[in-house]
Amino acid sequence: MIGPLQLVLILIVTFIAAIDQFNFLESLYQPIVMGPVVGAILGDVKTGLAVGGAYQLMTIGSMPVGGAQPPNAVVGGIMATVFAVASGLDVNAALGAAIPFALLGQYGVTLTFTLMSGLMAKADEHAANANPKGIDNLNYFAMGLLGLFFALATLAGVISITNPAVADFINGLEGNWIMGGLGAAGGMMRYVGFAVLMRIMLADDMWGIYFAGFALAAILGACGLGGPALILVAFVGIAIALYDYNINVAIKNAGGGAGGESDGI
Amino acid sequence: MESNVYTYKDLTPAQPLDRATLNKMVIRSLFLQASFNYERMQAAGWLYGILPGLEKIHTNKEDLAASMTHNLEFFNTHPFLVTFVMGLVLSLEQQKADIATIRAVRVAAMGPLGGIGDAIFWFTVLPIAAGITSNMAIEGNVFAPVLFLLIFNGVQFAVRYWLMYMSYDLGTSAIEVLTRNAKEFTHAASMLGVFVVGALTCNYGATTIKIEVQDGEALRSVQAILDGILPQLVPLLLTLMVYYLIKKKGWSTVKCIGLLLILGLVGAFFGIWGGAYTPFIKWY
Repeated sequence: MIGPLQLVLILIVTFIAAIDQFNFLESLYQPIVMGPVVGAILGDVKTGLAVGGAYQLMTIGSMPVGGAQPPNAVVGGIMATVFAVASGLDVNAALGAAIPFALLGQYGVTLTFTLMSGLMAKADEHAANANPKGIDNLNYFAMGLLGLFFALATLAGVISITNPAVADFINGLEGNWIMGGLGAAGGMMRYVGFAVLMRIMLADDMWGIYFAGFALAAILGACGLGGPALILVAFVGIAIALYDYNINVAIKNAGGGAGGESDGI
Repeated sequence: MESNVYTYKDLTPAQPLDRATLNKMVIRSLFLQASFNYERMQAAGWLYGILPGLEKIHTNKEDLAASMTHNLEFFNTHPFLVTFVMGLVLSLEQQKADIATIRAVRVAAMGPLGGIGDAIFWFTVLPIAAGITSNMAIEGNVFAPVLFLLIFNGVQFAVRYWLMYMSYDLGTSAIEVLTRNAKEFTHAASMLGVFVVGALTCNYGATTIKIEVQDGEALRSVQAILDGILPQLVPLLLTLMVYYLIKKKGWSTVKCIGLLLILGLVGAFFGIWGGAYTPFIKWY
């Protein structure tokens, strides 16, 4: 059974791994590391290594093991190890049992990213007041929040070992329209970021350039070049920018730059 | 929200940044995504990363505020390659380039790195490191995770340090050419920036329509019909709508986020937006 000290250690490890999935080494959270660490806490490094190694191979797509993968590798790896050691499940069954809690972790990500969107106005205030400490603390707060959500997801998982109703409850949340709505809204919020950049950078004579960039990315996407699309976009963009630069410098050097003051930057 | 200042008050170039400060910023770059959010993504983490440099460069409070403000605009790049953008931007900040120039370079540099970083780290280094060590782990070798971390982070830190110093020197050596034709350079760089933002609107656009309509025998998805008109039409229209609200109606970003939050929830209630959920009311 899992003792109080072991539980606290697992929650601390989860807290750190949750932050690490987006920051710091961005590799501590990987199942191959989390498996043996959690295994060691529970007194069975061997099983931890086996679960971590097997799950790691699945995540890099090198092992065609059946069964769905948990939606969040951090909680997925930790809970799968906990279930394998504490409940004696095999790797596939342990990963399956981890899915509801990995889902809970994924909700924590959505919630944190949404809340932090609202806090960007606070960050603007700190910037306007030239307050670096404020920016530092805002970042530390966000990491703490994410770590906390993940620790709670893992706690729910540990509780579920003795109380299976917890997993049923979480499974009932899946497909909930509120989480669907938050996800949809989250996907839209980046448009605010784009719009602010456009408001600042986009002079009236540049609308064509904006739509040209959009069109090129759409064409590349349709060619199945989603990944390298932005590199190819940069090639074309740099060509256009260099051309613009050379033309304008030539005009200036030719003494025809009288209108150069009004080029609308 | 965004800077209304176009040039720094103190235009005397600052002392070049010392190694200790550059190294400190390499370490801080590890926390680029600390406050990742849906609106500006890595913006506040980006600012966190370059703050030690900005504080050294901008000794008067007004310039520091102006610099911090424009460095809080939308930012997203590959976390392992961010020091490349940091070095470039810091060299420009140190030379007190126009804010429009710095912004344009930042936006133009951040976009393409995403694909390169994924290719290097997630599709090459990670599968190699994990591939070598996973089977060791399954066989019960306790050094497997240690070896995994050593390989992955060895590459990561080498890349982070190298890019920071390389791009800082690159920016510094380019500054002379840049200031000679500053206005022309800024115009060209802004064009590149706008071009990239246009591409981002399409590439990062994540909103789809779930509705399906009865078409004779078959069900046709509205998304497929929209894709036939223009791919990523919905993200484009939403971006233009937000742009209109901010530019013409003077809305704050917080107000826009609130609107999108309501739009997202109401849309999911009626099953309009795509995604794996069950609408509260399904009317189609």
